[in-house]
Amino acid sequence: MEPRYVIGIDLGTTNSALSYVEYQPDADPFALPKVELLGIPQLVNPSEVRDEGLLPSFLYVPGATDFTAGSTALPWDAQPDVVIGRLAQKRGAENAGRLVSSAKSWLSHGGVDRTAPILPFRAPEGVPRFSPVEASRRYLDHLRRAWDSRMPDAPFTDQQVLVTVPASFDAVARELTLKAAEQAGYRNLTLLEEPQAAFYAWIDRHPDWRERVQVSDLILVVDIGGGTTDFTLIAVTQKDGELSLDRVAVGEHILLGGDNIDLALARLVADQLAQKGTRIDALQLQALWNNCRTAKEKLLEPGNKKDEEPVTILGKGTGVVGGTIKAKLQRADLERLLLEGFLPAVSSHDMPARQRRSGLQELGLPYAADAAMTRHMARFLRQQASEAEQGGVRRGPSGLACPTHVLFNGGVLNAGLIRERLLGVLNSWLAEEGLAPVKPLSGEDLMRAVSRGAAYYGLARRGRGVRIRGGVPRTYYVGIETAMPSVPGLSAPLKALTVVPFGMEEGTDLRIPNREFGLVVGEPAEFRFFTSAVRKNDDVGHLIEDFGEDLQELAPMEVNLPAQQDAADVVPVSFETVVTETGMLQLWCVARDGRRWKLEFNVRERVEG
Amino acid sequence: MSRILLAFRAFFAILFHGALSAELKSDLGLAPSPARPSASSGPAAPPAPPNPGSALQLLAILQRDSRLLDFLMEDIASYEDEQIGAAVRSLHDQARDSLARYLSLQPVIDGVEGAYTRSASGDPAAVKFIGNVPAGKPEGGVLRHKGWRAAKVDLPALNPKQDASIIAPAEIEIE
Repeated sequence: MEPRYVIGIDLGTTNSALSYVEYQPDADPFALPKVELLGIPQLVNPSEVRDEGLLPSFLYVPGATDFTAGSTALPWDAQPDVVIGRLAQKRGAENAGRLVSSAKSWLSHGGVDRTAPILPFRAPEGVPRFSPVEASRRYLDHLRRAWDSRMPDAPFTDQQVLVTVPASFDAVARELTLKAAEQAGYRNLTLLEEPQAAFYAWIDRHPDWRERVQVSDLILVVDIGGGTTDFTLIAVTQKDGELSLDRVAVGEHILLGGDNIDLALARLVADQLAQKGTRIDALQLQALWNNCRTAKEKLLEPGNKKDEEPVTILGKGTGVVGGTIKAKLQRADLERLLLEGFLPAVSSHDMPARQRRSGLQELGLPYAADAAMTRHMARFLRQQASEAEQGGVRRGPSGLACPTHVLFNGGVLNAGLIRERLLGVLNSWLAEEGLAPVKPLSGEDLMRAVSRGAAYYGLARRGRGVRIRGGVPRTYYVGIETAMPSVPGLSAPLKALTVVPFGMEEGTDLRIPNREFGLVVGEPAEFRFFTSAVRKNDDVGHLIEDFGEDLQELAPMEVNLPAQQDAADVVPVSFETVVTETGMLQLWCVARDGRRWKLEFNVRERVEG
Repeated sequence: MSRILLAFRAFFAILFHGALSAELKSDLGLAPSPARPSASSGPAAPPAPPNPGSALQLLAILQRDSRLLDFLMEDIASYEDEQIGAAVRSLHDQARDSLARYLSLQPVIDGVEGAYTRSASGDPAAVKFIGNVPAGKPEGGVLRHKGWRAAKVDLPALNPKQDASIIAPAEIEIE
C-alpha cells in the first residue's frame, strides 16, 4: 500500500517530537507542503493523559510505592510497566534512582555495552534496568502508538517514516537506532541527520531559498539542545545547472548544552545563598535548577530590561511561606556566566581543553571537559581546515573553514543574546581572515524544526523539494596488525586500512582492490575498527601507518563462520563496503568463490587499549 | 479528644459519602432503635449532596501544582510582607497556569467595569443587581464586577482505586 503520510521523528536527548505531512502526488510541485506537528498523548500526572507537542525523552521504572494501581494507564495500554514522557520527568525529579534519562547519549557512548541493561545508571539493587537500545525502543514505540491512537485511519506501519540522528552519530550508534526502531515495529524507515533536517525545515519555510543562497556559499548549522552541541557544514554547489546542497563536514558529539547552563546558574545562586548562611539540599537544588531555567528564559526574552529575576524555593513542608527561600538571579551574573563561561570571545586558534585522563574514572557519560561552546566551534572549523580540500569548503588564509551563512537550531538558541554572541565571535574570526561577516538564516521554531524538516525531506525523496547530498559523514578503517616478531611489553604496531571513504553515497558499494586477508573460520574472528571525522581524503584501500589522535576506535567488528567440513581453516577474503538506501553501513567479507559474510558490530564493552 | 475525633469522622463521612455509616451512627447514639416502626413516612429526605470528588480533585490539583492549600492553611500572621510576597509570586503563577489548564474561565458579562451595561438576564445566580434596585427588573446599570463563568471544565477522570479524600500525600524522604 502506498503511504499516505510522511512522518518525521526527532528522537531527542531530552525531548522527542513527531511531525507529518500528507503525500499528495497531484499537488502543485511549487506549493508549500503543509507539515504538521502531532500532539502526543502521554501521562502528565497520575491518571491524566494529555496531548503535548513534545514527548520528554524520559523513562521511569515505577515501583510498588510510586503510583496508585491503574493510574499509569494509557489509551493503548491499561498496565504499562514503565512511564514515559512528562510524568516520568516529573516523578524522576523526586526519585532519580528509577529514572532513565539521556538514553540517546548512552546510545552513542562507545565505552559501555549499549545492548546491556545498564539504565537507570544509578538504580538501586532490585530495580529493573533497560539497555540504551531498549529505552530508545520504548520512546519510538510510544510515538508509534500515539500516532495510531490519533490517526486510526492511517496505520503507522503503512506510512513512510524518517527518524533523525545527530550527524555525529557513528555507524554503531546509527545501527543501534535502526535496531531500536525495527524492534518498535517500524517499517519503511530512513535515518536522517538532524542538522540536515533543520536545514530542510528552513527550506520548507522559505520557498525562495534559491535566491537567498548561491553557489560556493557555505552554511554552518549550529545545533545546541538540552544536552548536546553539534556543528555541521553544508556547501551550496551546482549540479546540472541546478543549485544543490552537499553536507561536507560534521563535528564530534559534544555532551554540552542548555542543561549545563541552567545547572551552572543554579550552583551560582546556591553559592550566593550559602554565603548568606542558607544551605540547600539536593532536592532543593533540583527545584532551583528548574526555577533558574525559567528565570533565565525570562531575562533573555526580547525586550526584557529587568536587572534581576526572583527565584524562589518554596518551603518543603506544609509551611510554604515560612520555609520559602528567596533568591535572585542577577542579569549581570547571567550575562557573565554565558559570555565568559559558555561563550567566551576566543580566537579561532583557541582549542577546547582536552578530557582529563585520571587513572580511575567514574563510569558514566563522557561529558565535555570544556564548557566553552565557542572553543568547540573553533576546533570544528579548524579541523575542517587541517585536511586538503573536500568539496567546495571556503577557507581563509589561515586555513580556517569560513562559513557565509549560519543556521541556528535547538532550544538554547532561542535566546538572542546567545545567537548574537556566537555571531560576534564568528565574525571576529572572519574579519581576521579578511572576509565579510556571516548572514544568519532566520530560523523558525527551534524546538520542533528537526521533526518538521524530516517530514519535508520525506517528500523530497519522493520528488518534491530539494535534497541535500550527504553520504557517509566519516571515514572508516579496519585495523591490521603488522606482521613482525613479538616484543615483550609492546603490542604489534597497528595500521589502518581505509574501508569506507568520506562522503560515500547511499545506495552504493565499494570493493577494496588488491588486498586479501586470511579469515579464520570455525571460531569468532574479531576486527578492530576505527573512524575519523577529520581525515577526509583517504581513498578506499589506503593504508595509514601513523595516525595519532586523528582516528578513534569503535566497537570491534565480529564475524563467526561455521567451518565447512571439520577442520578449522583460513579463508582468503577481501572487504566489500555497502551503504544502504537507509544510510546504514555494512561491511562484508567476500571469499574468492563468492561466499559472503557480514561483519557485525560487537557492541559489548570495549577494552580501552 | 475522642469527641473531636468523633466529630471529624462524622464530618468527613457526610462530606465524602453523603451519609453516616451504621457504625458511626451507633457511636453517635443515632442508631435507630429496632423497636421503632419504620413507617415514619414524614417529609421526603433532602437530596443527597453532590459527589464531592471533583471539588476535592480541583483542590488537589491546585495543591500539587501550586501548593495553594498549604498556603491557605498556613498561619501567615507572623511573616513579613516581603516573605509572603516571595512565596505568593511563584505560587500565584503556578495556580493560574493550572486553573487555565483544567478550566476555561470567562467573565459572565464581557464589559468594562465602571461603565453602564445593559443586562437582559433574569437569573440572580448569573447577574446580581445591587444598590438602588427598582421594584421591577432593571434594564441595566454600572458594571461593578464582570463575574466568572467556567465555560469548560476539563478535569481528568478520577481513578476509582484512588482515595479521593487524599488532597496531598504525605512525603517521606529517604536520605
